[in-house]
Amino acid sequence: MMTRRWDEDEELLDDLAAAMRDVDPTAQRVAAAAEGLYSWRTVDQELFLASLSFDSSAHATSPVRGDAGDARVLVFDAAPLSVELEVTADRITGQIIPPSPGEIVVEAESGPPVRLTADEHGFFVVTGLPTGRIRVRCDTTTSRVVTDWVVL
Amino acid sequence: MEDDESPITTLVAAAADGNARAWSEIVARYSPLLVGVIRRFRLSNAEVEDVAQTVWLRAVEHLAELREARAIPQWIIVTARREALRQVTMARRAQPHDPLDPGWSASLQTSVDPDDRLIYAERHDALLAGLAELPDRQRELILLLIANPPLTYEEIHRRTGIPIGSIGPTRKRALERLRRTEPIATHRDAGAEPVRSGGDRRDDATLG
Repeated sequence: MMTRRWDEDEELLDDLAAAMRDVDPTAQRVAAAAEGLYSWRTVDQELFLASLSFDSSAHATSPVRGDAGDARVLVFDAAPLSVELEVTADRITGQIIPPSPGEIVVEAESGPPVRLTADEHGFFVVTGLPTGRIRVRCDTTTSRVVTDWVVL
Repeated sequence: MEDDESPITTLVAAAADGNARAWSEIVARYSPLLVGVIRRFRLSNAEVEDVAQTVWLRAVEHLAELREARAIPQWIIVTARREALRQVTMARRAQPHDPLDPGWSASLQTSVDPDDRLIYAERHDALLAGLAELPDRQRELILLLIANPPLTYEEIHRRTGIPIGSIGPTRKRALERLRRTEPIATHRDAGAEPVRSGGDRRDDATLG
């Protein structure tokens, strides 16, 4: 795409108008919907955010989620620990790495949170797949972590 | 006296500190840029809005990293591309695809600048990112000036309180301010020809 200098006011305004025309009214709807997302903000100073560092579905050659035996793998990294999730058609199998027991909460954007416990190897299983966006909280004896939101 | 300061750094700090109205202002200012980036991928309208929500949901938790004003458009563009690509890939995997179909490969494109600096190659990204960081009154005026259908200066005066005779000069100042924003200045510089002065011209004859 060729660059422009926009030395002329009219040219600059015309291009701005075109840029806004391309995104309205969607942009306004997006902004209105995004206001409510602020309530999801984590205020806890001692909570670590685990960022999504790997997603097998981002690679086009990965198996289709839902086929028997094929899983989507997600890895979230925080300073104290990582969380790995294996997502299949009917369940999420998770592990805290390095292995450690802990309390797990799976939060979905709508619907009640799901609470479970990770065993001494850090394993936990969520039966039944939430739809839409989820994030996972892990409380071990030494640290508290929440993952990035991810779309299932 | 027109306030020339970009409000973005203050808004992000306030939002990181618990101010919900600051957050609303941020999403209002940057949703046009966000939607523009996502639109470049082949997604339905519903998917575009969904990907946008995912990006904003991430942003809520990453506010502390975005304290520097110039970091925000970069973060939005990189995150939006990544999430849009994820959406495209997940949708495509459920259907057979033709690798020779140009639409398929176009949807997989993620151009990441090798220097890790974001060059505003996309004209509209530069414009929307620049507009997002203007001071309140200037941004408001520009939005009204580009409204469709067009508003009269009388109507603009009614909505903003700017005296009709001042609209022209304020418009000029706002556009000059817009050209100085980093996204737009960067885009303008990217297209600039290298300057060659007569005194130090090198030609093939003088090169070793």
